[in-house]
Amino acid sequence: MSLELVCPAGTPSALRAAVDAGAHSVYCGFRDETNARNFPGLNFSPAELKEGVRYAHQRGAKVLVAVNTFAKAGAMEPWKKAVANVEAAGADAIIVADIAVLDHAARHHPDLRLHLSVQAAAATPEAIAFYADTFGVRRVVLPRVLSVEEIKKLNSAVASTGVETEVFVFGGLCPMAEGRCALSSYATGKSPNLVGVCSPPDFVEYCDEGADGTATRLGGFTIDRFAPGAPAGYPTLCKGSFVAGGKTSHLFEDPVSLNAASLLPRLREAGVTALKIEGRQRGKGYIAEVVRTFRKAVDALEAGRPQVEAEAMLAGLVEGGRQTSGAYQKTWR
Amino acid sequence: MVDQPNGELPKVLQILARPAGLLPLGIVLTQAVRRMARRRPTLFERLDEHRHASFLVEPSDLDFAFVLVPDGEQASVRSYSKRALPSADVHVKGPILMLLGLLDGTFDGDALFFNRVLSVSGKTDALVALRNTIEDAELKPSDLLGVTGRGAAFLDSAVLRALASARRVVGAPNMGAMP
Repeated sequence: MSLELVCPAGTPSALRAAVDAGAHSVYCGFRDETNARNFPGLNFSPAELKEGVRYAHQRGAKVLVAVNTFAKAGAMEPWKKAVANVEAAGADAIIVADIAVLDHAARHHPDLRLHLSVQAAAATPEAIAFYADTFGVRRVVLPRVLSVEEIKKLNSAVASTGVETEVFVFGGLCPMAEGRCALSSYATGKSPNLVGVCSPPDFVEYCDEGADGTATRLGGFTIDRFAPGAPAGYPTLCKGSFVAGGKTSHLFEDPVSLNAASLLPRLREAGVTALKIEGRQRGKGYIAEVVRTFRKAVDALEAGRPQVEAEAMLAGLVEGGRQTSGAYQKTWR
Repeated sequence: MVDQPNGELPKVLQILARPAGLLPLGIVLTQAVRRMARRRPTLFERLDEHRHASFLVEPSDLDFAFVLVPDGEQASVRSYSKRALPSADVHVKGPILMLLGLLDGTFDGDALFFNRVLSVSGKTDALVALRNTIEDAELKPSDLLGVTGRGAAFLDSAVLRALASARRVVGAPNMGAMP
């Protein structure tokens, strides 16, 4: 069984670009708070999703829909509606994090294939078995905090459940246990796990400071400063620069992107089913280039050909001008 | 520091382009955007409340800039000399060929920002909404010029080929291998 390449789409045109570039599956979400990439102008209406599913299926690709924020207590209607719209569109699976949404989908939409979002941060055999036994979850997207060895052990431990695992291989690198990070809530008053954005754009400012470069602010707090001409990164607190112990540094993580292309053979050996590319907020130029490159890498791996030089091929697209294999083989500070 | 070509026009072309600033570009572009809004009314829906925002688009290698208010059939584009730039809700600055590459989907805006080819300031939410609207619009030169039918396909192919050649000539990097 070939590794499945799961690719991002923030708009219908990005979905078409991903499918045309060789995506086996495309993931996307609705234009509302049910989706953990809830940026202005991004995402799909129910009608656009239906058309996107039609386009993908005609070309042999699948569509997975993320309804992966946590439902508000007593106000679950938007999430219920989203689940119904995923089924009505004929999508191949729904990606969910919240147990209330999982429970609703399992009870009322039993034919929907359930994938567990990375937002659920399920990283132990016990957690995965719970989601599989209780809701019938068929695939788990693993948090970006596990090493390849840990993923291998995890896959061995859950083999009897038949649950597949999906791992991120390229794009924005979240160094936290996702779905449990409240860092940006302190700066913006908005929880990324409820409103679907970790740095809401209406709280982000880029300030030209002349010879000092550009300062990035979130909720009025300066979180980083880039010298003129130096590579820049996203305005996320986990990649901000802070003073701690008398030293100024990128305390949690540097502005950097994940690229695990060189680890594909080991990830396959570790029993991973699907490889996920991050970037629903990125443009068609990014999507086409990254999907094409990773499809070449997957095809080369399957055919036993030498691996493609993905790091050099994708160097222009990465945050902060740098790439890392992240926790897959990281020595933590 | 990133040592890279940023895709600016050569000085000689910058000088040759100066007279273009005297043309009534604002009027022409206003008509083009309004025509597009009439033909594709759903195009501007993604902007939501940001359709009333003003976007100052400043080509770093030209002597003039534009202010766009993308309000559908009431949209406006005004051109300004760089000596008297107005304030706006959003300010985007970068080489003209790279800005045009954002319109046709050749370039990814985040990558241009990471590599400091583009600089942005002002209301980030309005900028993100405009970026995503343009991304989904799949704009072609014929949309802006109001050309339809077989002539549109010919025009699009010719203009996009010319832009790609121009980017090669000025040393603009391709998307993946930018640094």
